Amino acid sequence: MSHPSDSSHEAHGHEDNIVIDGEADRLVKVALGIGSSALVAAAALGMGDWAKLQRAYLVAFMYVLSLGLGALWFVAIQHLTSAKWSVVVRRVAEILASNMVLVAALSLGVVVPMLMGSTDLYVWLDHAKVEQDHMLHHKSAYLNLPFFVVRWAFYFGFWIWLGRRFFSLSVRQDKDGGSGISTALRHTSAPGMIAFAVTLTFCSIDLVMSLDATWFSTMFGVYYFAGCVLAGYSSLGLALIWLQSKGRLTNSVNQEHYHDIGKMMFAFTVFWAYIGFSQFMLIWYADIPEETHWYHWRFEGSWKVVSILLLVAHFVMPFFGLMSRHVKRNKKTLAFWAVWILVIHYVDLFWLIYPNGGGEVPLGVVDVLCLVGVVGLFFGFAARRARRVNLIPTGDPRLADSLAFQNA
Amino acid sequence: MTDSSDAPAMVREPEQLHGLLAEYQTPGQLITAAEKVRDAGYARWDSFSPFPVHGIDPAMGIRPTILPWIVFVCGLAGGTGALTFQWWTSTQNYPWIVSGKPFFSLPANIPITFELTVLAAALSCFISMLVLNKLPMLSHPLDRCRRFARVTDDRFFILVQANDPKFDGRETLNLLQGTTPRSIERILEDNESPSAMPRGIVYGLLILSSAALVPFALTTLARFSTSERPRVHVVPDMDWQQKFKPQRANAFFQDGRAMRLPVDGTVAVGELREDDHFYRGKVDGAFAKTFPEQVKVDEATMQRGRERFDIYCTPCHGVDGAGQGMVHQRARSLMQGTWVPPTDLHQENLAYKPVGELFDGITRGIRNMPPYGRQIDTADRWAVVLYLRALQRSRAATLEDVPGPQRAGLE
Repeated sequence: MSHPSDSSHEAHGHEDNIVIDGEADRLVKVALGIGSSALVAAAALGMGDWAKLQRAYLVAFMYVLSLGLGALWFVAIQHLTSAKWSVVVRRVAEILASNMVLVAALSLGVVVPMLMGSTDLYVWLDHAKVEQDHMLHHKSAYLNLPFFVVRWAFYFGFWIWLGRRFFSLSVRQDKDGGSGISTALRHTSAPGMIAFAVTLTFCSIDLVMSLDATWFSTMFGVYYFAGCVLAGYSSLGLALIWLQSKGRLTNSVNQEHYHDIGKMMFAFTVFWAYIGFSQFMLIWYADIPEETHWYHWRFEGSWKVVSILLLVAHFVMPFFGLMSRHVKRNKKTLAFWAVWILVIHYVDLFWLIYPNGGGEVPLGVVDVLCLVGVVGLFFGFAARRARRVNLIPTGDPRLADSLAFQNA
Repeated sequence: MTDSSDAPAMVREPEQLHGLLAEYQTPGQLITAAEKVRDAGYARWDSFSPFPVHGIDPAMGIRPTILPWIVFVCGLAGGTGALTFQWWTSTQNYPWIVSGKPFFSLPANIPITFELTVLAAALSCFISMLVLNKLPMLSHPLDRCRRFARVTDDRFFILVQANDPKFDGRETLNLLQGTTPRSIERILEDNESPSAMPRGIVYGLLILSSAALVPFALTTLARFSTSERPRVHVVPDMDWQQKFKPQRANAFFQDGRAMRLPVDGTVAVGELREDDHFYRGKVDGAFAKTFPEQVKVDEATMQRGRERFDIYCTPCHGVDGAGQGMVHQRARSLMQGTWVPPTDLHQENLAYKPVGELFDGITRGIRNMPPYGRQIDTADRWAVVLYLRALQRSRAATLEDVPGPQRAGLE
């Protein structure tokens, strides 16, 4: 990836401002304040329509989960491949990924209503309907509340453990140095990646695909994963750009690193479209009623507009927008597309979760409030954690390579 | 060739100078030297290294390559070409209905569009890269320089060509000496190596390209000729398998056939069809005038019948049953002389036929209409008959048949 650096680069890195300090305090206050008040307001406004509030919250929760999982996957794949270029940007992703405890706490907003007997979202929780419907009855060996709770605990337990391990060992390496911790984390990430793939797939099946318990797609987990990675890279890029605008990391992270983040945003834009189309085409071609109704709902009324919007704004526009190397190496243009992807990623999840039996697009204030709430809490807690550590892993033996990294 | 780095002034007259070659030990030295040559304003010069050196492009003042644009345009051309070609074949050249989809349905065309976009982009990238780099280059004056061989190992070089407008023997030498090279060597034009392509390569290419035509020639020959000899069997044990295929003879059995019939009077589980009315539409040997008791004459059956009718009957008989379906229209457009038009289901003699006879027609087929007994369930065939009755009635309907709320709009 890069040839041995000369000493001037290293000197640059050591002169950098790599602690967030007081800048975090304002962010923590603002983000946590806005986040919690938005959630309270959402709950107050949504009280009247309990089913709508639950669905709005589920969309927002899947969104914040995708931010966390995207960051977690990023850290894991960097360790798995012993990547050098990414060392200077990895700590920010580690901070985001270590937020899984918060995401798990937020998931209670989805799980507690289920435990309290709400069947507004998941029809497979409704005993009467399951008894009547042959297919639901058949699926109840998997789709039942006790087994779901066990799986849910396993998913989040694993993600919390993995995120914390990456974070705490990397922080310890700041003090201790050496390559032992890098090796240990590489060994963690190999089986960790397999477990990550399994947990992400089944979590997306449990929380989103089972909303329509009769429908099935083996591609579903991969589709959600593509969105997670896109959201992960976009939020990582934005976080770095924000830190640099506050005078942090200015001598460590440069356009070469942004270029690579931009490449991955471009690649996963294509990947998302590839997966989305593969799922669609098989169902469209076979034209079997058990499968097609899911798309029928999304091609009727105003949902059709959203479907076309996704094709254009989630694939065609960022595809051409992110193609040029100049766009990826320029902070302003990269930030533009990162924000673009984060917005359209929400539309994607909205489109995935809302339509149930057709109807019109029901976007409302409650949806926005839920989203602002969970995202505010996510970044507020991330900033609080960032307060305690360096913004780059100073103990990583590959740091010099990362500082001197150049795209060919 | 002599190593003339120690005596740059001595030049053998008949040989022309190609350029000056400076040798360096590290990529760092190469970059510093390249910056100096660049700043001196030379145009015809190049640097050589065992691996891609980061930062060499700006150090040499190389402008960004046009290659991405070539790839982009070729990729777009591949994609639009693939899409246009599919549109032309499936709507203009040979329109054909495939699984009930429109002639031109975009999702089906995306995989080919995607593949051809990638193919055109990748091939154009590879070929343009060769062309832009003036490759393949079969010979170069540097090939004869023994010192230069280490460029594939651990040495870095800069060559300033003598045909550069700024080139001046002494001045260029001074410039290169100021870049701390390990050595400087004069490279002479190669007047000894033959300029023509070696005969062996030419003949080899000719033989290969003629050989490549042989399969096409054989295919063409086979296409336009007949033969008395049996065809070649490449994999005989796949062509002649140790088993009996359907409809073949077998001397082992007295009746000589390989396919065995079930014993007389055998009835498969669940296949006993004693009820003449329901299964054959007959009561006491004559076609039934009423629906069997298993069929409920209600809205649900009517809707089911309509759905089955739309799936199985409309391709020929049309949605309204008047015999103007898609298949009929296509046959007409192809001007098939042997085509027998589908029956207009509103004909008077059909309207008075007993339901049992209509059921029998669907089950066993009639004239050139194939039997649908295997494709449509028994109960569904009765549902189709029910819907057909309603369809026929609709042509002879009076205002009294229309439900109250809708009547106002028609009056």
